[in-house]
Amino acid sequence: MTRHGRRPEATTLTVWQVVELARHANRPYSLDYIRRLAPDFIELHGDRLSADDPALVGGVGTWHGRTTVFLGHQKGRSLKERVARNWGMMHPEGYRKAIRLANHAAKFGFPIISLIDTPGAYPGAGAEERGIAAAIAKAIMDWFRIPVPIVAAVIGEGGSGGALGMGVADRVIMLENSIYSVASPEAAASIVWRDNSRKVEAAEQLQLTSRDLLAMGVVEEVVTEPEGGAHLDFDAAARALDEALVRHLQPLLAQPAPDLLQHRYERFRYIDSLIHAEPHFGPKID
Amino acid sequence: MELAKTHSEVRIAGAKLPPITLPTNCPGCGVGLDPEVLRKHTYVCDCGHHFRLGADAWIALVADRGSWKERWGDVRSHDLLNWKVPKSYQSTIDQLAEDGLNEAVRTGTCTLGGRAIWLAAFDFRFIGGTLSIVAGERLARGMEQAAASGLPYLLVSASGGARMQEGVLALMQMAKVNAAVGRVHAAGVPFFSVLTDPTFGGTAASLALLADINIAEPGAAIGFTGPRVIKQATYADLPAGFQSAEFQLARGQVDIVVSRTELRRLLVHLLEMYP
Repeated sequence: MTRHGRRPEATTLTVWQVVELARHANRPYSLDYIRRLAPDFIELHGDRLSADDPALVGGVGTWHGRTTVFLGHQKGRSLKERVARNWGMMHPEGYRKAIRLANHAAKFGFPIISLIDTPGAYPGAGAEERGIAAAIAKAIMDWFRIPVPIVAAVIGEGGSGGALGMGVADRVIMLENSIYSVASPEAAASIVWRDNSRKVEAAEQLQLTSRDLLAMGVVEEVVTEPEGGAHLDFDAAARALDEALVRHLQPLLAQPAPDLLQHRYERFRYIDSLIHAEPHFGPKID
Repeated sequence: MELAKTHSEVRIAGAKLPPITLPTNCPGCGVGLDPEVLRKHTYVCDCGHHFRLGADAWIALVADRGSWKERWGDVRSHDLLNWKVPKSYQSTIDQLAEDGLNEAVRTGTCTLGGRAIWLAAFDFRFIGGTLSIVAGERLARGMEQAAASGLPYLLVSASGGARMQEGVLALMQMAKVNAAVGRVHAAGVPFFSVLTDPTFGGTAASLALLADINIAEPGAAIGFTGPRVIKQATYADLPAGFQSAEFQLARGQVDIVVSRTELRRLLVHLLEMYP
């Protein structure tokens, strides 16, 4: 099912421990990776309509000798920075900035690397007033016509539509201790149980770990993290991510744009095709 | 809005609407309700309150009588994540099937004012009209066929978002469906969306607001995050009318807010304007 069938060793972590690792306060964030992948990274700001969304960083950097557009949700490290970054939860301006930079990449033929790390889009009144639903919807639709290679990597939390709005790519990979889910465990518990304290049970049922998603055929590879988790060794985590990104982006660079777009369409159009072959997914973490 | 006189004879519904479950009094004005009178009035109270319709009622309302041809009705959801608590997903689906409900989205072809179209209608009674793999598959297939055949695509939405019980694969339906929306637009095929109460989450953030013309029913709640979650997350006091159709009209997300009693006439007229 995966072209690069590297499977991490079986772990004894519970699902909830994986969720906590994905959200670990010392986990490397997008800028920690981007600055290691492309030390000359220049951040570019703004959606060219009304604002700049600090929850999403974007810009250009030289990566393996090639100018590359980097995008990534950015959480904050200190409380002050967390507030400024809105905990990595994007407003509509963020999705518009992302597509603006994707068009920028398309103009110059730069590949795009998108790092996903968000609890979800911002669930607040301002986001609603400025059209968050349509902003996400349009971003998802627009990614399908960006004629340059795109690789997305979930590096922490892949929460709901807020993550998917940045996650339409030719290849999607996940760090070992990251999660990707239809809703955060808290939100799912609130919806299904009407009680968000049932988050652990919700997390267990949602099948949101990297290995669950690999088994479902939703992601192409699980990137093994340094022993104990990415937060223990930023450099090693960045090297592992770098190797995986190269592995996935390299073959895409040779593809003519129409093929690229057709394959991207088919990747998502038939993303659930495995259910016909395998009605119950595994493996579970126990 | 003045519609061409030739359409004045367009009936407010294509066929007789099925009976729906109604409260004894209107939540809008408190008047006692007569189901038969309401049915003839497309379940809109004189005070303007719009009662929620299921997919069967929407098909009866939109499609010219006898023209509906359902597609892929036999593709059914099943429990692929082995979802057991607090309620088994499989038993939920089985119970709904016993009640005669067929998924959160039904799709097919019909004529509307004589014009052949693709129609997809959400059904809020089926697990809150949630976007599932089967719902997404029906939507995407219909849109691909509309794009290939040139038939206009009409969507009627009523949905809480993506279906939790299908996990990340339900989330992926947003991408699957939006990819197909892109094909509809690229093909120059008209896409009209009717947003009804309520349209939220992954449905609002995928196809429902991406139409050439977004039409909303008066008073319909439309948004991404529901008011309960916004209040929980931000302790915000939301003003009356927050996320209503009129709110979305004022903020540029919706083109037209129109009463259900006028909807069919509007759609017939639009179909003539967008050949």
